[in-house]
Amino acid sequence: MIKLTDVKKSYGSGKNLFPVLKGIDMDVEQGELVSIMGSSGSGKSTLLNVLGLLDSYDSGKYLLGGTDMSNLTETTAAQYRSKYLGFVFQSFNLINFKSAVENVALPLYYQKVPRKERNAMAMDLLEKVGLTEWANHLPSEMSGGQKQRVAIARSLITKPRLILADEPTGALDEQTSREVMDVLKEVNKEGITMIIVTHENEIAAMTQRVIRLRDGLIESTGR
Amino acid sequence: MFDVDKWLEIFHTIITNPLRTVLTGVSVALGIFILVVMQGLGFGLQNGVYKNMQDDAINSLYIHSWATSLPYKGLNAGREITYKNDDLQHVVDKYDEVTTYSGRMGMWGVAMEYGSETQNFSLRGVHPGHLELERSIVTGGRFINAGDVADARKITVLGKTIVEDLFRGKDPIGEYVKINGVLFRVVGTFEDPGSKWENRNAYVPITTAQRVYGRNDQIDMFMVTTGEMSLTESIEMAAEIDAYLKEKHVVHPDDKRAITVNNNNESFAEMVNVFTGIRTFIWAVGIFTLLAGIIGVANIMSIIVKERTKEIGVRKALGATPASVLGLIIQEAVFLTTIAGSIGLVAGVVLLEVLAMFIDHEFFTNPTINFGVCLGALILLIIAGALSGLLPAIRAVRIRPVEALRDE
Repeated sequence: MIKLTDVKKSYGSGKNLFPVLKGIDMDVEQGELVSIMGSSGSGKSTLLNVLGLLDSYDSGKYLLGGTDMSNLTETTAAQYRSKYLGFVFQSFNLINFKSAVENVALPLYYQKVPRKERNAMAMDLLEKVGLTEWANHLPSEMSGGQKQRVAIARSLITKPRLILADEPTGALDEQTSREVMDVLKEVNKEGITMIIVTHENEIAAMTQRVIRLRDGLIESTGR
Repeated sequence: MFDVDKWLEIFHTIITNPLRTVLTGVSVALGIFILVVMQGLGFGLQNGVYKNMQDDAINSLYIHSWATSLPYKGLNAGREITYKNDDLQHVVDKYDEVTTYSGRMGMWGVAMEYGSETQNFSLRGVHPGHLELERSIVTGGRFINAGDVADARKITVLGKTIVEDLFRGKDPIGEYVKINGVLFRVVGTFEDPGSKWENRNAYVPITTAQRVYGRNDQIDMFMVTTGEMSLTESIEMAAEIDAYLKEKHVVHPDDKRAITVNNNNESFAEMVNVFTGIRTFIWAVGIFTLLAGIIGVANIMSIIVKERTKEIGVRKALGATPASVLGLIIQEAVFLTTIAGSIGLVAGVVLLEVLAMFIDHEFFTNPTINFGVCLGALILLIIAGALSGLLPAIRAVRIRPVEALRDE
């Protein structure tokens, strides 16, 4: 599913060149539930951005589903993201003037799916995460756990092959975190590959494999 | 292609900050309002002046004489030049294009008497062609005809003001007026809508005027039409006449005062140029005013883009292409400017319509603008909107989706 070979990335230029990823080799199988752990500054967020085609890398090779992901234009990157990837963020990143159902349906808007059709699909997913009654509420009217479940529903609507979650429970209490993780595990059971970036050991413990990052290098692959 | 979601988003951003939207809208509306009103005023001035110019036939030459300003061939400066019948006859015979002509011989402060009323007016000896050249309208009876001139009949055609002042509502046709002690039969009345002063004239056959006042074959000035001549041809004709008259009356070729040939064709063409210039200037002023509005919209759009950085990043993470982000911002800017501009456009047109109702001055009539100017202003607005959205939109496109992941 994912294969990274000697992926390097630095920020800045010239004398101020600051290497963040110093040669990452990793692979993730189809259907795996993997967590990436590391202290702040270890490069885990940058790695997730590279995996999510949100950021470019300097050298090395990134194969996603067997396709080389180097030198993508913004438009093709957007198309790949739209087709293959789903995102779950720490701060939910819902659009605050759209209702839950509209937020969930938004990715399909960029795939030019008609409004009725995509709203129906969004309702199905909201039912799945137990938020049917909240479909027409704005994010500001919901709790953190509910917002994150909306965000998960949103990440699922394009039927992605890979979901990338960046500290998905970072803003939630213990009880809610567990609920959200249950939903993510549920999703993973349906065969969707999932990579979760976290710094919490309890969260990492709920995944099948923990990849540890230190100072821009893989410390352990968890295998 | 009507995209409900896009429009909902545009309405949302516009409604979230109504004060900012209104202030920006006002600057654009004001720009287009000023443009439209100034164009309208320009047209009003133009219409007024054109109407005034059409007081006289545009395709005509008016040939005046005055005292010489340069000594020539042993003759001193200051010698009065007076035209004679044969000067006019020469021009009429030489140019086939001359369809109408008239000499003119005038007297001011002439006592005119009817019944118990006596008042001073002007008297003018003219040819039948004077009617067309001066663009007067016969309001009763008839104008002077060729027979009147040939026989030097003592008949007269009275201007509107004389009729009102002397006859006080009575029909003057067939009545006799005593002009400087000589009885003239009134055969017609006229009105000159272009000039109030013309209405204080009593026209008589030129031959009659020459005879009564002992002027023999002299005329004060004369005028001829130039028919279908082009501007260049008429300028050439004017120059030829000028040269001929100077030669004949022994006037220095450089004397600009003694002989003048006014070419109305040329004056009109010059006036057209002047107005084209004024209108261009007004467009320039209007466009600069509008530019200030555009900068306002560009400013508000870039603030919006800045505020929505995170949202745009999220959208990109969810699969929004650069083109769709660009489209969203530009569409919003175009929408804002078009709505605001249309309000300004309508307000401007309404103001002009109201002005048109109340103002009808000699030099200012009908200040409405035409459909073409409205259309031009609208096209300008849409282009302006797109331009004002362009820079902020490019900035939005440059936002990297990574921004969305960064938690403050």
